[in-house]
Amino acid sequence: MRPLSLALTAQRARDGTDALTRRRVLIAALFLGVFPWLMPYKALAINVLIYGLYAVGFNLLYGYLGMLSFGHAAFFGTGAYGCGIVVARWGKPWFLAIPAGVFSAAVVALAIGYLAIRTRGIYFAMVTLALAQCVYYVFFQAESLTGGENGLRGVNVRSISLPGVSLNLLRPTTKYYFILFFVVVALWIVSRILASPFGAVIEAIREREARARACGYNVAAFKLITFVVSGALCGLAGALNAIHLSTVPIESLVYETSGLAVIMSLLGGTGTFFGPFVGAAAFLLIQDLTALWTEHWQLIAGAVYMIFVLFFPRGIWGSVLEWLYR
Amino acid sequence: MTLAPDVLALQLLTGLALGALYALLAIGLSLIFGMLTVVNFAHGAFFMVGAYVGFFLYGLTGSFWASLVGAPLAVGAVGLVVERFLVRPLYGRGLDYPLLLTFGLAYVLVEIVRILFGKQGLPFDTPEALSGAVDVWVGYFPLYRLFVIGAAAAATLAVWLFIDKTSYGLIIRAGARDPVIVRILGIDIARVWLAIFGIGAALAGFAGVLAAPLQGVAPEMGDTVLAEAFVVTVIGGMGSLLGAVVAGLLVGVTISMTSLFAPEMARVCVFALMALVLLVRPQGMFGRAGLLS
Amino acid sequence: MSGDVILSTIGVTKRFGRFFALRDVTVAFNRGSLTSIIGPNGAGKSTYFNLLSGALSPTTGKIFFEGRDIAALPQHTFAHLGIAKSSQITSVFPELSTVENVRIAAQARRVRYNFWTPRARYIELIDKAQALLEVVGIAHRGDLPARALAHGEQRALEIAMALASEPRLLLLDEPTAGMSPVETRTMMDLIAGLAAKRTVILVEHKMKLVMGISQRLVVLHHGEIVAEGTPDEIRGNDTVRRIYLGGRKF
Repeated sequence: MRPLSLALTAQRARDGTDALTRRRVLIAALFLGVFPWLMPYKALAINVLIYGLYAVGFNLLYGYLGMLSFGHAAFFGTGAYGCGIVVARWGKPWFLAIPAGVFSAAVVALAIGYLAIRTRGIYFAMVTLALAQCVYYVFFQAESLTGGENGLRGVNVRSISLPGVSLNLLRPTTKYYFILFFVVVALWIVSRILASPFGAVIEAIREREARARACGYNVAAFKLITFVVSGALCGLAGALNAIHLSTVPIESLVYETSGLAVIMSLLGGTGTFFGPFVGAAAFLLIQDLTALWTEHWQLIAGAVYMIFVLFFPRGIWGSVLEWLYR
Repeated sequence: MTLAPDVLALQLLTGLALGALYALLAIGLSLIFGMLTVVNFAHGAFFMVGAYVGFFLYGLTGSFWASLVGAPLAVGAVGLVVERFLVRPLYGRGLDYPLLLTFGLAYVLVEIVRILFGKQGLPFDTPEALSGAVDVWVGYFPLYRLFVIGAAAAATLAVWLFIDKTSYGLIIRAGARDPVIVRILGIDIARVWLAIFGIGAALAGFAGVLAAPLQGVAPEMGDTVLAEAFVVTVIGGMGSLLGAVVAGLLVGVTISMTSLFAPEMARVCVFALMALVLLVRPQGMFGRAGLLS
Repeated sequence: MSGDVILSTIGVTKRFGRFFALRDVTVAFNRGSLTSIIGPNGAGKSTYFNLLSGALSPTTGKIFFEGRDIAALPQHTFAHLGIAKSSQITSVFPELSTVENVRIAAQARRVRYNFWTPRARYIELIDKAQALLEVVGIAHRGDLPARALAHGEQRALEIAMALASEPRLLLLDEPTAGMSPVETRTMMDLIAGLAAKRTVILVEHKMKLVMGISQRLVVLHHGEIVAEGTPDEIRGNDTVRRIYLGGRKF
C-alpha cells in the first residue's frame, strides 16, 4: 500500500494545486529542449522522445485507468505504417501522413478496444496480446502495401517547408526539435485530459469500477474512449518513428514492442506524469551502454526490469516522488 | 476447387496434432491460473526452453526418448525455482505483478538461450523410429504426428487422473475453490502452489520437445505460441481443463483446415474465432462468468 | 405525506439457475416514506436491492419508478433517474481523497465527457462535496485518502456519495453493518434526518434498529413477501415472529 504522504501528493496533483503539476508540460518542454546535450548522441535523444511518448500513451491506459494492455505494438505499428504508406506509397506530404498514422491507429484501437473491454484484469492483458498478434499477421500478409517481412522502405521526409523557413530533417538536431514539437503538443493534451472531469472518472474507475458505475458513469464508454486516445497517442509515436527511421520495420508490430511500453512505464513509474519518459530514457540508456560490451543487452534490461517489479514497483520517478514527499 | 474426402481427413489429423500441442499448453496455463490466479507470461518461453533442452539431450544421448523425459523434468524444475523465488514474493500484491514478472522472465530466458545456442534457429530431426508415414485407412499420414497426438493425449489423461482421482488432486481442487479452507485443514497451500506451477511448466516443456521435430528450434518460437495459447485459453474459458482441450483441438483444426483453402488467412482466422467467442460468451466456452471480476 | 407512489415492483422474480432468489414480489413505496425491508439472512433482501439499483435485472416482472419501467435499463442510468444506493460492502475510491470521492459522485450529474476544462474550474462541485461531508459529519477528514477513514466514517462517506446525485429515492443496504453502538446511533440519527426530505428504503436485519424510525416494514422470507405493514402491525404478526425470531417476543 502506498504511504499516506504519497496518496496526499497524488491528490494534490489531481487537484492541480501543486506548482509542479500546474507547470508540468512547461517543465517537460524546457527539459526536453536541452535534453539532446545531455545524451551521448542525438539519435538516442530522438529515441527517448518517441518511446517516451509511446510509454505515455500506454500509461494513460494502464497507470490511470488500470487496464494492462500487452498489445500496444498494434497502435505503434499501425501509426508507423499508416504514416509510412501515405509517404512511401502515395507520395503525399508529411502533414497528411502524420494525421493519417494517428487516425489509422485510433481506428485499430477502436476495433481492438471494442472486443477487449468486454474482459477485465489479466484476461484483458491476454486478449490485447492476442489481437495485436492478429494485426501483425494482417500487416505481414498485406505485402504489396506494407512490404511484408522486409518492412516498408522509402518513408523519406528529408525537408519540411513551413512559411518562411525550411527544415532540413537530415540534420539530427532539427529532426529532434521537429519531433519534440509533436511530443510537447501530445503531452499538453494528456495533461489537460488528466486534469479534466474525464480524467477524474478514469481514476475512479481504476479505484473501483462498480462504484463508478453506481455513481452514474457509463464505464464501458469511458474505457473505450480512453483506449482509443491511448492508441492514438501510441500511433503518433509510431508515425514519428517512421519519419525518424525512413522505414517501418515489421518488428514495430511484434509482441516485444508491446512489451517495451510495459517495461518502460514500469521502470519509470506507472500512474505518474513524468514516469514513462524517465522509464524510456532509463531503458534506452541501459540498452545503449550495455550494448557497448555485450550483444545480449536484453538479458540485463530484463533482469533490471524484474528487479523493479520485485522490489521497486513504483518505478524510478515514483520512488523519487515518494522520497521527496515522505 | 473440389477436395477429396481423404485429403480433408488427413488435414483434420494434421489439425488434431497441432491442436494437441495447443491443448497441452493451455492445460498448463489453466492449471496455474485456476490455482494461483497467475497468468504465466513465461509459458511460451517454457515451451521454447523445453524444445532446446530436448535438442540438447538428443544431441548428447542420441536418444529422443531421453529428451522426451528430460525436457519436461528440466522445465518443471525451472518452474519450481521460478515460483519459489520470483512469483511467491508477489502474492497479495495484486494480480498484475506475477504477470509483469513472468513477462520479464520470458525476456531473460530467450536471451539466455540465445547466449547458449546462438540467435539462429536450429533443425531438429525426427527420430528414426518415428519417421516415415503409416497407412491410416484414408491415406498415408506422418507417423510422428500420430505420435504427438498419442503423447499429448497420454499426458492429458495423466493430468486428469492425477487431479480427479488422487488425494493430491483432491487438495488441488479444494485449493482452487478456497485456499483458506485448505489452510485451515492443516495443508501447506504454498507447497501445492509450488507443485502446480512446476507441473504447468513441465507440460509446456513437454509440448516444446514434442513440437521441436515439427518446426525445429528457435529462441523466438515461444512468442507466437504464447499468443496462440492465450487464444485457446480465452476460447475454452480460463481455468477450465476441458475447455483447454476442446478449444486447443478446435484451434488446431481451424488452422489446418483454413490453410487448405486460404493459407494466408489461417492464423487470422483463429483470432476471428476468439473475437466471436468474446462477443457471444466473454467467459469462454467452458468458463465461469465473473471468475475474473 | 401525499399518497403517490414513487416506486413499485410488480410480480418481480429473480432466478439464478434453478434457485429462486425472489419470487413474485409486488410492493409499492410511497413518496416521502421511510420503509425498511427486513428478513433473515438469505431472505433475498440484497437481491431485491440490487434490482432496485440496477445492478441486476429481474428474470420476470416490472419495476416502475415515477411511472416508468426501469427494469431493463443499464445500471449507470439509475443515478440519473434519481435513484442512489449505498451498498452493504463499503465501496469507495480508496486512493482518492474523501472530498474527491464525493466530488466525483456529484460530477456525474453535471459534467461527464469533458476532456479539457480543468476540474478545479467547477468550484460549485467542490463546494457541494464539502457541504455533503458536513451533512454526514466527516468534513474534517476531507483531505485524507478514503482508505484512511475509520469504518464508520467510510459508511458515512458512502452516504454522502449517494446524496451527491441528489436522489429522490435513497437505498441504504445495512448502513450500520459492522458499526460500534455509538457509530450506529449516529448513523440512525443521520438516516432519520435524511428521510425527512426524500424517500428512503432501508435494508436491515437488526430488526430492533428500524422499528423506531420506519413508517412501514416489508418482511421477506425465502424470496417472498410474508408480511408488510406498520411497525406495530409487524410486531404483532405471528408469521413474522415465527420465521424471523423463532417465536421470541421482541
